[in-house]
Order: sequence, then structure tokens, then C-alpha cells
Amino acid sequence: MVRVFGEEEYSTSKDKGQREKGKSIVLFAELVYDEFMDHVKKLFRLSHPYDTAKSNDLFVKAMRENCAWHYDRCPAYRAILEREHFKPEMIQTYDDLAKIPYIPTLYFKHHELASEPDKKMILKVTSSGTSGQNQSKIGYDVYTILRDWEMVKRLFRYHKVWSLKPTHFVVFGYQPHKGNNKAIAKSSWGFTFTSPALSKDYAIRWINGDYKVDLENIEKKLIRYAKGHHQVRSLGFPAYTYFLLQEMKAHGVHVKLPKGSKMTLGGGWKQFYAQACSKQEFYDLAHEVLGLEEKDIIEFFGAVEHPIMWTTCEKHHFHVPVYARVIIRDPDTFAPLPPGKMGLINLLTPLSHAAPLTSIVTDDLGILHEEECGCGIHSPYLEIVGRVGLEDIKTCAAGAEELLKGAKS
Amino acid sequence: MILAHGQIYEESLQKSIISSLKKEIPATLEGPKLEIEKIYAAAERLYQRVLKGEFDELAAPLLAMAHLSHETFLEYAKEFSAEGLRKKVELELGKDPFSPHGISSHHFAIRRPLGVLLHIAAGNVDFLPAYSVLEGLLAGNINLLKLPSGDKGLSVKLLQELIQEEPSLSPYIYVFDVPSTEVDTLKELSHYADAVVVWGGDFAVKGVREFADPNSQIITWGHKLSFAYVDQKTSDEDLRGLAEDICLSNQMLCSSCQGLYYDGSDEKELEEFAKRFVSILSETNARMGPAALGMRAKSALAILNEKMEGRGKIFQSPGVSAIVYPDSDLLLSFLFRNVWIKPLPEEKIVEVLKPYRGYLQTCALLVEQEKRAALRERFFLAGLTRLSGPHMSLTEPGEAHDGSYALSRYTRIVDYQE
Repeated sequence: MVRVFGEEEYSTSKDKGQREKGKSIVLFAELVYDEFMDHVKKLFRLSHPYDTAKSNDLFVKAMRENCAWHYDRCPAYRAILEREHFKPEMIQTYDDLAKIPYIPTLYFKHHELASEPDKKMILKVTSSGTSGQNQSKIGYDVYTILRDWEMVKRLFRYHKVWSLKPTHFVVFGYQPHKGNNKAIAKSSWGFTFTSPALSKDYAIRWINGDYKVDLENIEKKLIRYAKGHHQVRSLGFPAYTYFLLQEMKAHGVHVKLPKGSKMTLGGGWKQFYAQACSKQEFYDLAHEVLGLEEKDIIEFFGAVEHPIMWTTCEKHHFHVPVYARVIIRDPDTFAPLPPGKMGLINLLTPLSHAAPLTSIVTDDLGILHEEECGCGIHSPYLEIVGRVGLEDIKTCAAGAEELLKGAKS
Repeated sequence: MILAHGQIYEESLQKSIISSLKKEIPATLEGPKLEIEKIYAAAERLYQRVLKGEFDELAAPLLAMAHLSHETFLEYAKEFSAEGLRKKVELELGKDPFSPHGISSHHFAIRRPLGVLLHIAAGNVDFLPAYSVLEGLLAGNINLLKLPSGDKGLSVKLLQELIQEEPSLSPYIYVFDVPSTEVDTLKELSHYADAVVVWGGDFAVKGVREFADPNSQIITWGHKLSFAYVDQKTSDEDLRGLAEDICLSNQMLCSSCQGLYYDGSDEKELEEFAKRFVSILSETNARMGPAALGMRAKSALAILNEKMEGRGKIFQSPGVSAIVYPDSDLLLSFLFRNVWIKPLPEEKIVEVLKPYRGYLQTCALLVEQEKRAALRERFFLAGLTRLSGPHMSLTEPGEAHDGSYALSRYTRIVDYQE
């Protein structure tokens, strides 16, 4: 059935209008032909987002399907598999998942791998690296976005993010602007639709053709909203949020945000390793300044190379959702490690139709925990320990490399 | 954290302390002279406390992070004993550096401090900012230090201890915590400085050039790369020494080995050599214990990526690698016990390396005695500043730094006629 949505369907339609029409046909076809659902679709429509034990078989089938799709359509991916003498049909059991060749995220920074032609990518996002050289650029087609949407819908429902109550949104990040393709800007904009918005405030505002940080405005608004009755939802980088909370504390702010208010964090704790702020300090500060309880703070994690919305449980753990699996690998041999051991994080998901994100290795170190944390979710949880390398230390030799390449850090 | 008048101040007082420099600096310059013997004595007392283990707690995490032994730490500390510092000053400035030398019967030349130095320190070695200030003091200067971002407070602690040992140093040491983005404050500080001392890469230097007062000099200590030079006859013993240095330094210093240039361009010969070196590196790695997990993980990803890119011929053993490339470009390695091996026939040395002149530092010359003199000449012509044996990261007190003596750069020669 999938082939119906293949390239040939509108490969002849050159002008934009027809292409748009093509896209709506695809959307329509997706909705109508539910019964022809492939395994990937089934996986993303499972009712319980954390029932990994029961979904293992389906996950394996979906991975085989996804691997085969990219093998057929992306010559660069096919070459990677062939070099490792791997074929998609070799994915038969759960243990076979570890044998799928994994691609380091570093590789995506220099290669734009795609399994769909450019015109089908309705969205292109870049990772949040600062220099153009070191950004991954990854495309998303309709199929992938629909799966992503199914996932977000279920995860938001599970974590009670959806709300029908009117809400003030406060985004500690970029105001949307058509020139900004950063994944983080796209997702924070999407977030402002999780409930009816009374207002949307952005900490980094697009003013006269330039982005400007305006924390003062956010502080004022938060104080004002605390006096009202409507819930407040915030989203942003932990570092910005922390910075603002500290400022507010210094200004002597102690308020209590109305019931139903939540603080959501995404974009990594990287800056925090240097500041040596523990997560607990962060939660305490949020309580002191805004009157938020620990359970009102939700954290997200994802990457353009792995567009799965990892979400923390009420005990602040990233449990493995049905849409993905994790293999922790020994850095010396890349062999899978048992739970509880620290190693490289290999993330697997059959989500993307548009790019071979089937099995990727991030540049973080992590541990997979199998013990129950008591939140009610039974799947193991992933602890991200930090970046590979030597924390905080920039070697002088490494600095010289930057110079040789003429790159700015 | 801010340090002034020998005391730690709240950051909120930074502005007023900086504006008081206008009065304080001339007062200090005209006040009692900085006595170098007092600096030696204070440093010696600190060194004795180090030997007693008083600073072990502070040093331990830093040593662990860099995988350095306690012995190495004590060896480094010895450079800061009175004897170490005296030797350094004598070597860099000569005996009796601040007394007049007669040019003729009534014409004299005398070495004087530059006056005020603003140090813009890099964050790659924790005690480096304090070291830079100490050099400034030895040359007799008032020192304003801008801490690197993410500084953990070690430098301030060391400088404060030094002042406690010798309170007369207090008007000569100021430490400020100014983010690099606060250009106006940096401008103001540079306005007081006779020279701005910058540690770091071109990016940092460029930044300083933008804000520095046109009236003050800029003294740069840039990032450098180093390598070893070998041939078919290089002994196992030398390669073992080099492997030890690679494991000890994890290739993180300007003077540590990024790769090996091979005298020859035969591909098979280079690959044979790479196999031989990887086996020695692997055995040394096993003997000295593996690098930290995060380091291993980082290089493992880089090598995996290199494999996927199909670049170079990779020779690997757990935790170590050597990659043979056909070109002769000077590059940073993947660090943490992974080196590149590239062809560089003797007659090409100057031609290939000259374009990198500003980034060249050490070459460990691991060839037979007879070949060395000619090679030494070529490497110096190409722009290297230091040739060493296999233990290339170990420096001795009194060695020049990137081709010059810091203390002489921090002073000037003035003339007068009687």
C-alpha cells in the first residue's frame, strides 16, 4: 500500500499548486486506507505508549520494514549496509536489532541522507549547533509527520499535557519566524497548540529583523499571570529557564502560578554540567519562585536525528516508549552492554520515512535502568549522563584545529 | 569571584572596583617596589605546603580528570619552588635583571616592567590563569586577570594563598569575572593595561584586537600542534617512550603528539609502520590503564565516522588507533590515544610545514643521531620552536615558550644618560 504514495504519483507535477494537491491526496489516502496499515503505522497507533514488553514483535517487524524502505530508496544508506554485509531481511528477532548498522550523529552533520526526493520534504529542520558546518539537516515528509503526530498525541495524553482550559503560554526560546529552521523553534511553536491559548510570550523575540532576548517582559508577565486564574504553561531550554528563575529570585519574586500550570523543559542540560546545578536545585528553585511542584515539571528530549519525543515520568525518568528502543554500547568494542552499565547511546526507531534514522548513535553517554522507578511505567528508563569527551576542557591542541579549519567556536 | 586588595568581593562590586583602578594603579606604581625575593619566598612557602599535602584535595579531581599522577603533580609544583622560579627568571632575564648595564661611560640601559598587564586566560588548564599572573609578577608588573568562562575558582584560590603568604603582593593582583560579551568593561580594563596577554586561539585574539586600546600591546600565546618524526629505523624504545607520552598526556597539550610524520611515501611501508606502532601503543595502553570512558567514547565515535567516510586506513586495538592517510596535512588527532600517520619525506619538510608556521610547536625527532642535525635545521626553517625526544610533553623550567621567553616579553628596556 505504501507504494501508492510513492514518487511516481506526483513526480510529473512540476508546479507548486499540483504538488500541494499531491500532498492532500496523500493525506486523504492515509486516512482512508487504514486497513492497509503497515507495521510502522500500527506501532505508532498502539494505545499504551510505554507497553514495550508487549510491542517487541511489532517493533521488530516495523524496523525491518523501515530498514528495507531506506535500503531500497537511499543509495548512501544501502552502501552503509552493504559495507557491513547487512540486509534488511536479516532483522528477524529482537536480538537482531543490535546488528543493524548504526550511524553516528556526527555523520549526519556532513551528509544529508534522504529516502524521499526534496520536493516531498514538507519540513526541513536543523540541529541546534551554532555554526552551519556542524548542523544536521534532516527532512520530514507527510508520512513521517503523521507518525510523529500520532506519537505526540498519545504521549501528551498520557502525560496530561492536553488541556481544554485557557492557557497562557510562555516560551523560553525563539519566537517563530519563517527563517528559523531550528528543530527547537518548530517544536516550541507546536507546543502552544496543546490547549486554547490566551497569550503567547517568547523570551527571544523577533524584533525589527533580529532576535533579541527579553527576559524582563517574561518576568513581568509571569508575575501578572500568577495573580490571575488561568493556568500557565512554559517551555524552553533548561539553561534559559534556570537563568530567569535565578533573576526572579534575586528580584525577590515568590508567586504561586494558578492550578494546572506546568513547566516543560527541552533542549538538553549541557550548559548545566558547567554550572554544576543539579536537577534537584532546579526543581527547588521553580518551587520557591513560581510555586510549582516537582510533578508539574516535565522534561522532553529528542534530536533531529532521532525525532522521538522522550518524556519524563513523574519521577523524572525517560522511560523507553513503544516507538523506540535503546542499546547501550561499549565504546571500545561497540558490543551491547547489560543494564546498569554506562556506554554510548544507540537509539532505534522506525519512525522516519524520509531519512534513514533507523539506528543512530548519539554523542552522549548513558545508562539503561531496568529497575522499576515506581511511577507506574514498567519499561526501562534511559539516564543521559553527559557528553562524550572531556567535560568542560578545551585542549589547546583542539583549539588549534579550529583555527586550521577557520571555524568559529 | 573577584579578587582585589587581597580580598574576595561580591560580583556586584566589580564596577566600582574597576573604576577605582584609575587612582589605585598610579599609587601602586609610585609606591614601594615589588621585591622579587619576596615572591620567591612566598612561592617557596606555598610549595612546602603542597609537599605537606595541603592542596591534595583541591588537586585530586583535576588530576583525575586529566589522568595525571600525583607524582606528575609534584613535579609540576616544583617549578613553583623558590629554586624553580629563580632559575626561570635567571634564564629568561639573565642575572640581576633589573640593574643598569652601561652602554658607555655615561649611557645606561635598564630593564623595567611593562607596568600593567591584562591577562585574558584560556580555560583549558585550570591553574593557567594563576600561572600567567605569576609570570607577570616575576617581571614586576601589576596584573589584571579576566577569568575564563567556566572557571572553577582554582586560580583565585591560588592567588589568594600567595597574597596571604606575602601581603605586599596584594596591590599587584586583581581578578575580575567579566564575560567576554561585556566588551565595554573589557575596553575599560584594557585602557589601564600596557599590554594585553591573550591565551587562546585566533578567535580569542581577534576578539581582543577588537576591544584592546590601540595604545596597548597585544601579547599572544596561541594554540599549537605538535607531532613526531620517524622513519623505518626508529627504535622500539623510542616508540615506547612516545606511546607513554601519548597515554600520559592523552594528547591534550600543545606539546603532545597529534600524529607521526614518516620519512618516506611508500604506502606499504607506512602501513607496516602503523601496525608496529599500534601494537606498541596498545601494549603501553594496557600497562598504563585505559583513558577515561568519556574520552574513549568520543574517539570511538570519531573513528566510526572516519570508517563510514572511508577516509584513511585504520589500524585499531581496543582504546588506541593509528590511521594512515596519504596526504601530509597537519591536523589535530582524534586525541585520547589515537594518532594519524602521514608521509613526509625529509626534502618536503619545509615546503609542507611552512604554511602552518603560526601553529607549529614541538617535533619529537625519533631518528638516528646522524640524521638529526640536518633535520633539526629543516624543522626550525619550517617554523617549529622546539625539538624533543620521545617524551615530548614534558617541559623543563626555563624552556622558551613558543619561541620566546614570557618574562622578556613582559618587560622593556629603557635607556638613560647620566
